Amino acid sequence: MTENQQKLIDELVNKGLDGDMDAVNAHQDRMVRAKAKSMIMKIQKGILKRPPLKKISPEEVPNGDIVQNQEKKENKQESTSAKVVRKLLEKFPNEIENEEFDSHIQLKPDKWFEIATWLKSEPELFFDSLQCQMGIDVQDDILESRYNLHSMKHNHYVELRIAVSRSNAKIPSVEKIWRVADWFERETYDMLGIEYIGHSDLRRILLPDDWEGWPLRKDYQEQETYHGIIVPKMKEGWE
Amino acid sequence: MGLFTNKFQDNIIVEKLDNLLSWGRSTSPWFFQFGTACCAIEMMAAAASRHDLKRIGMIPRSSPRQADVMIVAGTVTMKMAIRVKKLYEQMADPKYVVAMGSCATSGGPYWQHGYHVLKGVDLVIPVDVYVPGCPPRPESLIEGLLKLQEQILEERPLTRKMA
Repeated sequence: MTENQQKLIDELVNKGLDGDMDAVNAHQDRMVRAKAKSMIMKIQKGILKRPPLKKISPEEVPNGDIVQNQEKKENKQESTSAKVVRKLLEKFPNEIENEEFDSHIQLKPDKWFEIATWLKSEPELFFDSLQCQMGIDVQDDILESRYNLHSMKHNHYVELRIAVSRSNAKIPSVEKIWRVADWFERETYDMLGIEYIGHSDLRRILLPDDWEGWPLRKDYQEQETYHGIIVPKMKEGWE
Repeated sequence: MGLFTNKFQDNIIVEKLDNLLSWGRSTSPWFFQFGTACCAIEMMAAAASRHDLKRIGMIPRSSPRQADVMIVAGTVTMKMAIRVKKLYEQMADPKYVVAMGSCATSGGPYWQHGYHVLKGVDLVIPVDVYVPGCPPRPESLIEGLLKLQEQILEERPLTRKMA
């Protein structure tokens, strides 16, 4: 610890002991803040003596180092989604739909195949693994297909969402980019009826081939019979 | 009575053939192991050494053609229901069905929201014994199988049925 920092801490401690704790709390450097607070505690308990009152001139305050450190930290803290968005806007403008990127990025379906190819090949992003693809009915006639991507090389994640309307539920397939998407997309097709254009083998995966309807849509109606087997609907006694 | 008088040794039992047949059937009902869900674990436990279904003459068979009893152990989905029916039809007469667990008896926890679950296997094939539980313990299953054996013992396969 430099002498300057020690002086700074002494001054903060004096201010705190005089009742101005805001000055301590508002200080930017976390380490200085913590040391000052622990010192105040010790003085209040009587372990340490109060530092001598001394005024320090503004030139001595080590502002330069601290500011630089903080800039570096902020750079590191740029989230993966923010990074993807920044690069995505350069490459594919007009494809992003949401404005805040805290958790996910909302994309338009039209150029999804090109974007996915780019996401996998771009050296700084390099999303080589599709960890999960799932579908959800978010009401108001909208179906969503969500993709969780992970990069083994950079160890970062991103979630992408593509919303389509029920009447025109068509999304380009990414089966050719991430092979694992084959069964993921088949399951989403099975449950929600989202058609993945370009999929090599788009059949139902869990339900039988001759099943009617898309069970995970909110407006799904159970069929009356299946191959002559009655599907009972009298369930009042249980509700 | 002259023909049979004093003709037999001590170790010969005289009984009606009808009773003999039903006794034979009831004491060796080989079962078709048909586990579709978690109940199958309890069925395995029942067949394993602690509970030992072989004590009551029940041997697991992997083919429906060699089995007399079909233990439907677990949830039957609509997709599977067709296969269950097909397997039942492949069994040779006389054949019996035990619905094990609440899923096979009534749909169980999938009664209300399970759009894809068969609400009781009796919608597809005739059931002789229902064993409730989720899943039933091996003791319950054995109880059910003993009930089935009683039921088989009361049958008279050779007697003509009066209308």
